[in-house]
Amino acid sequence: MKLYCLSGHPTLPCNVLKFKSTTIMLDCGLDTTSVLNFLPLPLVHSPRLSKLPSWVSKDGAVNLEKELKECAGRVFVDSQPEFCLPEKELLDLSTIDVILISNYHCMMALPYITEHTGFTGTVYATEPTLQIGRLLMEELVNFMERVPKAQAATCWKNKEIQRMLPGPLKDAVDVWTWKRSYSMQEVNSALSKVQLVGYSQKVELFGAVQVSPLSSGYSLGSSNWIIQSHHEKVSYVSGSSLLTTHPQPMDQSSLKNSDVLILTGLTQMPTANPDGMLAEFCSNLAMTIRAGGNVLVPCYSSGVIYDLLECLYQFIDNASLGTTPFYFISPVANSSLEFSQIFAEWLCHNKQSKVYLPEPPFPHAELIQTNKLKHYPSIHGDFSSDFRQPCVVFTGHPSLRFGDVVHFMELWGKSSLNTIIFTEPDFSYLDALAPYQPLAMKCVYCPIDTRLNFHQVSKLLKEVQPLHVVCPEQYTQPPLSQSHRSDLMLELQPPPMPYRRCSVLNLPFRRRYERIYILPELANSLVPSEIKPGISVATVSAVLHSKDNKHTLQSVPKPPPAPPSKKRKRVMEEPPVVQAPKPLLSGAVPLEAFLATLKKHGITEVKVEETADGHILHLQAEDTLIQLEEDGTHIVCDNNEPLRTSLRDLVLRFLQKL
Amino acid sequence: MDRGECVSLLPRVCEVLRDSGRSLPDDTSLEKLLDWFSGLTEAGGSLLEAHPCLLEFISTVVNKTSSDPDVISFALKLSGLIAATEDGFETLQERSVLDLTFNQRHWQEAGLWEDPCIRIGWIQGVRSMLQHSKALGFFVQADFIVPLLQLQTDSSLFVAAAANQTLAHVLLFFQPALSAGCNGTVKSQGSDTRTREHPGVTTAETDHDYSAVLVAISEYLKGSLVRGEENTRLHQSRQILKLLALLLARAAPPLRDKLLRTVADPLEELVTAGCSRLMPPLMDIVLAANSSSSVPDQRVTRLLSSMLNTNKPADRLRAAAAFLHSGHRDTVHTVRAVRILLLPLDIITGQTQLGADTSEEHRFSMVEQLKSKTTCVSMVCVCLTNTPQITLMPPDLLPCPLVVIVSAVLSLLRICCGDSSSGGCAEVFRNVIGSGKVQKCALEVLACLSSSPGVKDELTEVVTVLIQYLNDPDSDPTVIHKSYQALVKWMSVCEDLSSVTDLLRRDLSEVVRKRVCDMRWEVRDSTVEFLGKLAAVPKSVEETRDGTWPGSCSSAPLLREALQDPESYVRASAVAALAQTLARGWQQGAALTQEQTDIVSRLLEILSQDTEGFARRAVLQYFIAWFSSRASHTSPPSSSTTSSSSSSSSSSSSSSLLVNSVSSILSLGSADLDWEVKVHTLELAELLLDEALSGHRGYRKGPETPPALLHPYAVVPDRTSTLRMQGAESDSAGALSDLVERGVVSALLSGLVDCDRPVGLKACQLLITLRDTICPPPLETLDATPATATVARVSCELPACGWGREIRKILGANKCDKAKEADVAGETREEGKGEGNDGVSVCEMLRSLGLDARLDVLSQSSDHVHNSPLSLLQDILTASAAHTRQDMQPGQEVIVDCY
Repeated sequence: MKLYCLSGHPTLPCNVLKFKSTTIMLDCGLDTTSVLNFLPLPLVHSPRLSKLPSWVSKDGAVNLEKELKECAGRVFVDSQPEFCLPEKELLDLSTIDVILISNYHCMMALPYITEHTGFTGTVYATEPTLQIGRLLMEELVNFMERVPKAQAATCWKNKEIQRMLPGPLKDAVDVWTWKRSYSMQEVNSALSKVQLVGYSQKVELFGAVQVSPLSSGYSLGSSNWIIQSHHEKVSYVSGSSLLTTHPQPMDQSSLKNSDVLILTGLTQMPTANPDGMLAEFCSNLAMTIRAGGNVLVPCYSSGVIYDLLECLYQFIDNASLGTTPFYFISPVANSSLEFSQIFAEWLCHNKQSKVYLPEPPFPHAELIQTNKLKHYPSIHGDFSSDFRQPCVVFTGHPSLRFGDVVHFMELWGKSSLNTIIFTEPDFSYLDALAPYQPLAMKCVYCPIDTRLNFHQVSKLLKEVQPLHVVCPEQYTQPPLSQSHRSDLMLELQPPPMPYRRCSVLNLPFRRRYERIYILPELANSLVPSEIKPGISVATVSAVLHSKDNKHTLQSVPKPPPAPPSKKRKRVMEEPPVVQAPKPLLSGAVPLEAFLATLKKHGITEVKVEETADGHILHLQAEDTLIQLEEDGTHIVCDNNEPLRTSLRDLVLRFLQKL
Repeated sequence: MDRGECVSLLPRVCEVLRDSGRSLPDDTSLEKLLDWFSGLTEAGGSLLEAHPCLLEFISTVVNKTSSDPDVISFALKLSGLIAATEDGFETLQERSVLDLTFNQRHWQEAGLWEDPCIRIGWIQGVRSMLQHSKALGFFVQADFIVPLLQLQTDSSLFVAAAANQTLAHVLLFFQPALSAGCNGTVKSQGSDTRTREHPGVTTAETDHDYSAVLVAISEYLKGSLVRGEENTRLHQSRQILKLLALLLARAAPPLRDKLLRTVADPLEELVTAGCSRLMPPLMDIVLAANSSSSVPDQRVTRLLSSMLNTNKPADRLRAAAAFLHSGHRDTVHTVRAVRILLLPLDIITGQTQLGADTSEEHRFSMVEQLKSKTTCVSMVCVCLTNTPQITLMPPDLLPCPLVVIVSAVLSLLRICCGDSSSGGCAEVFRNVIGSGKVQKCALEVLACLSSSPGVKDELTEVVTVLIQYLNDPDSDPTVIHKSYQALVKWMSVCEDLSSVTDLLRRDLSEVVRKRVCDMRWEVRDSTVEFLGKLAAVPKSVEETRDGTWPGSCSSAPLLREALQDPESYVRASAVAALAQTLARGWQQGAALTQEQTDIVSRLLEILSQDTEGFARRAVLQYFIAWFSSRASHTSPPSSSTTSSSSSSSSSSSSSSLLVNSVSSILSLGSADLDWEVKVHTLELAELLLDEALSGHRGYRKGPETPPALLHPYAVVPDRTSTLRMQGAESDSAGALSDLVERGVVSALLSGLVDCDRPVGLKACQLLITLRDTICPPPLETLDATPATATVARVSCELPACGWGREIRKILGANKCDKAKEADVAGETREEGKGEGNDGVSVCEMLRSLGLDARLDVLSQSSDHVHNSPLSLLQDILTASAAHTRQDMQPGQEVIVDCY
């Protein structure tokens, strides 16, 4: 069993598991942090951005006037943002049989894999994962396509040039593999390969393994996967949460008794407690509004935003913010808000029960009804006429490089009354803000990451007790900035197997058993005999038939009825080809009792010698040796067949026959 | 009146108890009965004389072993109570009740001894009886010491504890007699009051008895302390240690010396054995022995040393803590204990300057313990909670300057937040990071340390760490609360805040503004409270008091905002904080600002509309505070003239606003549904009374002479003389009409008829004060001067409904009594008055309301009827009647809920 690790990002994993003749890709995460190296894509012409000076190296030798711009001491690529794809060279991706998706954040690289590698398999995901994943992809494509950039910067990727660039561009890895966003057509084609599954639904893969998704409690439809054969079980734990937010709670018990547990998607903010952050979010929001400022919340169009809205719903009255407008701007805002209300079966129990009342599961419906929350596809159109300040705006993209958020940054960045509150943990907020410096706006960093923290995961592992744990290497040591925090790492016995991008791990367990079916008629013919209370054994002679990774024992085909030819008849008189097997023996020969029996049969001169494995009896008068060992008995007597036979019979008395 | 009835009921009750003990109204009845009897005995009466039926009762019950065990137990205790006096003892002995009652074998044979309630009855009986030498003689003669020692390790904890108490009682109560007789040492009275009560008749017989007891107990102590099997030993040893602690705490020197001589060796053996579970009681003994002697005993000192040297870190820490708390200032051990206690702090923070325990072995074992989460948190907390105690030590006993302790606590606080620049033990960090318990303890300590000498240098660090805590999103509300407390403490103690001005202006203001918007109401509440306290911080920090300083007027907008908070606690705190913030303005008598007017109208709105009592109470307290601060700052009126005109003179200042709002507050407050709001309203009314009446002779402020204790007629002569003074008379009329005008009289009258007792009581007290100070006696008893007539003419209006009707009812009832002989015309006039809104003479009304009688009724607690012995006896009889009448199924019980 092997694991190929195609992504180095612990929360945006992409691994391939080879298990019993199947090749399974686990998640297909897209590392979007690469976009931080690019200039923002403004929706309306930004004089500030267009006037940024080009970067010139100190000695003036390198001048990529068109490609690199300098802003507040940092260099950015002026081009359509590009993403860092999963590793494609480690193994032939066309051999992948299936792709299992755990949540909508972990499928963003899907079109790159399914459309350009010769992939012919199936993708499995739950319905909310597919639908919301589609929204996120659509949004991404929309963000990119509505602000087309004529040029694609490539010169800076030249190794010689890249070496001379200032950090962090200098240290960016695999820049040649970075790709621009996919098109809507590719998205549709990729998503057409998705087959929907429900929690705990079992899907057979070629009869060899069974995969089934379990609720992971992180987002709508998010799942962990169990991949098992009859005798082996691999659990794949991706973004999971034990917090009671909107999704169905995490199914922990089904993870028990795993041989291998692949652990990814732990919280990216192990020191930030989501509750504290949520509170911090609310108080900073209220503080700004009270002081007459606007609040900008760069966020994804699905996920934590539901919880933020719910929390604000309760908080609005408390903080007397009743009249402040809340805007949610995204090309998919409307669908996202509506989808969340219809996936009833994927919600936590509390919300599920609301579906049966004339009440929507999420309170944002009420916010919309009462006009407190308004949503728009973009800043153009209706929004510009409805826009009132001070207000709160939720919009993407959290990287601040594209999407409507860029506009608000340009609009509000100059006033210290306004506040930007970061809630998504995927991007470093300082890096995200870099191209907007100098910035007067207040910045608050409240990353809300509900995924498992180290404390929760060690408790979980203690409970489910997997034999081996595989995890990204980042989890096996404390964070670099806090090397004394030994509580922020996985401490397990045996220690977890770490992986990094491009690792190939031999998973440390071996297949020992295989399940074989016996056909009913064959089973009927068996004669079990009990060797121990509760354990019966039978011998079986059959033909092993293997097809589609299923093994069946079938009766030995009877020889065709003999034609009534004389010649043949003679053949029949010969001993049959298939002899009845000799009975199998079991048990041990007790020494004392055996000696007594020998004595009874007139053999008295016996010298007993103890050996490592048993005893050697020397029958001196008969000049015969009997070796009694744990797994065999040998009678050594020269040319005395009657004695050998009678000794054999004496031995057989003590053994059971099957 | 009760007593006679009780005497007549008791025989029947005894009968009921004797026959059907099971039908008691509830299981506390017998205890209550016993309490009543002990009350009677303590009052000095003879129980048997007052209630001869008891003797009969006891003798029947103890003879009849089929009685209910509870009743037998009761009889045993009662016998002890009776036998506590020599007369009672003799009577019982004459009737040969005593021998049988306390004959343990009698109960064993009846199979009743197994029941713990019999054993405890027996022990308590013996304990109550042992008050005189005859009882001691009886005790020794019957050889009660043997069963008592056995019961000391009884399986029932109550029995065992009672046996211990009794054993200690025997030795301690009779001890002076021994010291004179036996050893020939100087007789000591001891500190125990009961030894003095004891007649001190030291006959040779008593001495002999006592020494027999002492010998028996000493032998037992010596023999059993370390003997026995492992599992039984623990329980026994613990019991013996408890007994020893009881004894040593109150033993006079000869007895203590003897005891110590007996047990010193076994005790040392126990300490060396190092059984953690015995450490606390062992420490109790050491401390008890230490506290009862002025000169330290060698043996005790040695014991203490070995306890402070024990191998187990947790035990060592506890021993050190206990030692410090005992208040002994024995130099060697104090230094040792301090070093032990500071060790965990040293290990975690790496603050070696603390001079903690330097023994490698101790340090190693402590580190091992600290690596485990549960023991770590508890040990650090023990260390922290004792730190304030350490700071109180004389400097020469401390291993380090206090400022080092402060900086160690700060390090710890930083580590708790996950930030560690110090070089402590990283393996331990994970146990304290994010631990709310440690954070709270450390913050408390930090607050305590603020007043220690020489720590002011750390101010900047302290403020930085506290602001960090206030800012931390993961801080628990209680942690934030404690941080605020610590901050206020440091800021009020430090005179020079210049070093932290920037921090306070920038960071603290920022964090406070954030925290008043917090989602958690507890946090908002603490923040608002903090703003109030900050306003009260001493004023030597003028330079920081500009617009950006969180304690200045810039906090008022935040607080005004908080008045709208959805949580009533926060609203209440905001009102209180506003009062503190604005207090300075009131005191300076500054001109009225628009802000003040706004706040007052907002407060009146809260008072009239808020749905929660807390906020409304706070509003009343706001006005009370304002009124009192104003009263204390306007110069006390030299004559009543100034007093009555003071309110109108300062019309332009803030106090005119106050005066103008008072009547609305009084009317709103007294119509409130919450009784506390009403009581506060009456407190405000009291302040107004104070102001109006303070110039009058004969006026006494309520709290100084609680009217309830005052004889209702005590002030009459004084009052008469006051009222005879012409000048005062007219002022009285003015003051009274002023009070009527402001609504004070109405508030008091409505309070008087309120259904809540505290309200009625307060109002009644104030009305009596008013009556006694201002109203002339009825016209017919004195010569009416024009002035008295003026006062008498002051009238007020009674509303037609509500409290007005109630007052009229009372007046009507009282009038009716008087008017039975009066003419018809008078009566019709009275009726006519009842319907309309005509004025009623205040003085006449005050006299006719029967205030003194009402005060008597209101002063009694509402359950006084139900708690009387009479009610108890009646309950028992009723329950038994119900029991027999209903002819109940076996097992079915009458359950009467007494509470």
